[in-house]
Amino acid sequence: MQRRQFSAWGASALLLPATTLLHSGAASAATVGQPAHAFTLPDTAGRPVSLASFKGRPVVLEWHNPGCPFVRKHYSGNLQALQKEFTGKGVAWLAINSTRDDSADYMSPAQLGRWMDEKQAAATATLMDEDGSVGQSYRARVTPHMYIINAQGVVVYAGAIDSIPSARVADIERATNYVRQGLTELIAGQPLNTPTSQAYGCSIKYRNAAS
Amino acid sequence: MRQPTLSSATRAVHRLFGLWLLALLLPWATQAQGLLGGSASQAIVQTEQVRAELLAHAPQGAAPGQTVWLGLQLTHQPEWHTYWKNPGDSGLPTELQWTLPPGVSVGDIAWPTPRKFPLGPLANYGFDGTVLLPVPLTVEPGYNGSHIDVKLFASWLACRKECIPEEGDFSLRLPVNGSTALYGVSFDAALAAVPKNLPTGESRLHPENGFLNVALTGLPAAWRGQRLELFPEAVGLIEPGSAWTQAWEGARWTARVPLSPHRSDSPAQVPLVVAQAHPPGEGPGSPGVRLDVPVQGSWPAVAALPVAVPDALQAALDANAARGSSGTATGGGSAVPITLWAALFGALVGGMILNLMPCVFPVLAIKVLAFAKHADDRSAHRANGLAYTAGVVLSFLALGGLLLGLRAAGEQLGWGFQLQSPGVVAALAVLFTLIGLNLAGLFEFGNVLPSRLASLQAKNPTADAFLTGVLATAIASPCTAPFMGASLGLAIGLPTAQALAVFGALGLGMALPYLAASWVPAVARALPRPGAWMITFRQAMAFPMFATVVWLLWVLGQQSGIDGAAALLMLLVVLALLVWALGLKGRSRSVLAGLSVAGLLWLGVSAGPYITRMAEPVPGAVVATAVQGVSWEPWSAERQSALLAEGRPVFIDFTAAWCVTCQYNKRTALADDAVLADVAGKGVALLRADWTRRDPAVTDALARLGRNGVPTYALYQNGQPPRVLSELLSVEEVRTALAGL
Repeated sequence: MQRRQFSAWGASALLLPATTLLHSGAASAATVGQPAHAFTLPDTAGRPVSLASFKGRPVVLEWHNPGCPFVRKHYSGNLQALQKEFTGKGVAWLAINSTRDDSADYMSPAQLGRWMDEKQAAATATLMDEDGSVGQSYRARVTPHMYIINAQGVVVYAGAIDSIPSARVADIERATNYVRQGLTELIAGQPLNTPTSQAYGCSIKYRNAAS
Repeated sequence: MRQPTLSSATRAVHRLFGLWLLALLLPWATQAQGLLGGSASQAIVQTEQVRAELLAHAPQGAAPGQTVWLGLQLTHQPEWHTYWKNPGDSGLPTELQWTLPPGVSVGDIAWPTPRKFPLGPLANYGFDGTVLLPVPLTVEPGYNGSHIDVKLFASWLACRKECIPEEGDFSLRLPVNGSTALYGVSFDAALAAVPKNLPTGESRLHPENGFLNVALTGLPAAWRGQRLELFPEAVGLIEPGSAWTQAWEGARWTARVPLSPHRSDSPAQVPLVVAQAHPPGEGPGSPGVRLDVPVQGSWPAVAALPVAVPDALQAALDANAARGSSGTATGGGSAVPITLWAALFGALVGGMILNLMPCVFPVLAIKVLAFAKHADDRSAHRANGLAYTAGVVLSFLALGGLLLGLRAAGEQLGWGFQLQSPGVVAALAVLFTLIGLNLAGLFEFGNVLPSRLASLQAKNPTADAFLTGVLATAIASPCTAPFMGASLGLAIGLPTAQALAVFGALGLGMALPYLAASWVPAVARALPRPGAWMITFRQAMAFPMFATVVWLLWVLGQQSGIDGAAALLMLLVVLALLVWALGLKGRSRSVLAGLSVAGLLWLGVSAGPYITRMAEPVPGAVVATAVQGVSWEPWSAERQSALLAEGRPVFIDFTAAWCVTCQYNKRTALADDAVLADVAGKGVALLRADWTRRDPAVTDALARLGRNGVPTYALYQNGQPPRVLSELLSVEEVRTALAGL
């Protein structure tokens, strides 16, 4: 009896230092090179959608708010085309709206669903994050803020949709689309040429931390 | 003789008059042109949010060599603003594109010192009120036109909470030989608001993990002791909206600013603008200074590797992943995600550590007993070891399966959910009372159970070991152990088959030490020979069982209140009467047994609801600690955000009454005087999230930390990722974490 106890404590003495090491930074912001934070959010029809259910596929997170001119710039056709192209290649595309529900920009799930339908968006799901928790855990700042998560669940891109920060539709053609470039590289098994960039757009209307 | 004199005099008068006329008329003329909106000049664009006007300042004319300024003046409606060269978390800097005749060129905008506009957890840098963005104009020596036609295409983003991108075409004709000075005051004010360049001196930046330490010298003496604002000229270096700290040490000003997790540059020099914080009024901020500060030390790696996996394991996994991805470019379904392996490994180790957690105390006695029973028989030991393992693993699978099923059905549950239900707690209390009474010798199962079941138990001692495994799991597994917490959090999000594999690994890990011990002959040999001591030992073991009942009753008391606990105690007393009566002979047996069965039925009907009902949670109880001014407040997401917004760090104890490890930590590391003194010193707010009952809000908060069980300890600080401490807290660990604030 005694001996068994001793060996068990001996094992623990070996394991515990490793334990503290493992937990020292276990939870940090989902940044490039880090595992993407797990989340489950309702879509515009109220069905829960969880990031984990797309494990094994690349996932794009698109921070979304139709009230933002930068989002409308890219929904003039650019985002729909991107969504169609890559969902067709097995990528899951999640548009996430973190606008708080008392903001002028807020759209109810039904309104947002209708807006996406009207724009003929091809996102895998449009998700509601009114309390901003998922947005903040990804440190999403603006709409559109774009993230690419690889099939292993690691964030491989965070930043702007393209290289020209403007609200002008005419600039889309001249810009380098970082999301298309990144997804193409990811699917080809290459490292991403541009893993981060400065996201541009409107501030996400997060629920005020103080209220 | 006269003519030349006359002509020179007339010329002089003409020239003077001409200059005077030009000086008088030209600014008016340009303005008039602007107002008239003629094709040559269009100086004003008015939108609902902003009035934009192109202005010029050339007091000595615009001949080569003269100081000439152009500028776009933006007058914002109340609440609206436009952006500085680094707009902060969002927005776009105002952009000016000039079209000028050959021989004329413009420089960059001389940006006035900006203001900071906070918006929730984010912040922007820009201007409200009226701001003039001056641009220097250079006229080449060869330029020989009589005027300069300036064309400007400007775009700006006007934001309140919502943003509106706006733009306009402007044009203006600037006379080369006439003075343009109508807006001298505006330009003087704008140029005065441009930050002055300061020599670098001893100013330095030290990046560290997640933070930028700033130390500046040579700042204006008038600023000493005042709060300053810091504006990096480069976008995306810091987190503009996060709380940060600053201090004056004599003439030296220091600050610690959170770095952006999305930072992509690691510059050797960082241009910074520093100004007094919270400037009054509107327009540009109060005039600041600009420094090009050298960076000392190295920048933290931008893309750190996932930290949840040991390095060696990670290297092996990376190699695997590389092999997998090189085979099939698009990555077929064959590749198991890295995280699953990590979770399985963590679960196995975590399960083993679970045996060493205080959580296991309630079942220690039955485990010891099971082992001592067959002290002489090696093969029986092996069979028991296997049966125990099977019991544990199958129970883990069953609990895990149930948890996943209930979650899929929409329940917000987490690991340990079984003990969140008072019914289960009461049932376990009944079971442990019976085991205790049996060990104490009050009754034999043979007298109570139907004879077939009893004989099965007698014939198959391995069934005992199996049931011991089941019990051990039901009671001891609700707490999470180191390694286990992260694995569980992951498992919850995995597909069912993979999640069950994690639960199975947990069970295997928990059973492994016993299984191993049962297969090592030395262990069996070390046990004393069976003899009379076995009976004494068996009876002694009854008392730990009763202690477990006390603990379960305490848990039940937290869930359904004192009435529930009393009702259960009464039930246990009558139950004890029943099993004792069943062991009697003859008439007294039937009478007493009948009475106690009737009593049990009556109690079940009348008092049962007290046991199973959930008492109303007691809100808002603040628990004081041994240190004055430090107390535990009940957790809520709102309270947490409010405290963080005040800039206070927040420590959260995710706990539950049924989690023995939580109680242990609460009374040791978390009650330590040195820890509490540190808490007081750093102004840390203590919040306690109680998961004794089901609480979706707590489940959700745990999920955000990637956890699905208690104990979990997290330290939050505004602008920083939360820091999760280990499940078995030590004073040193907590103090180190607090010291890092």
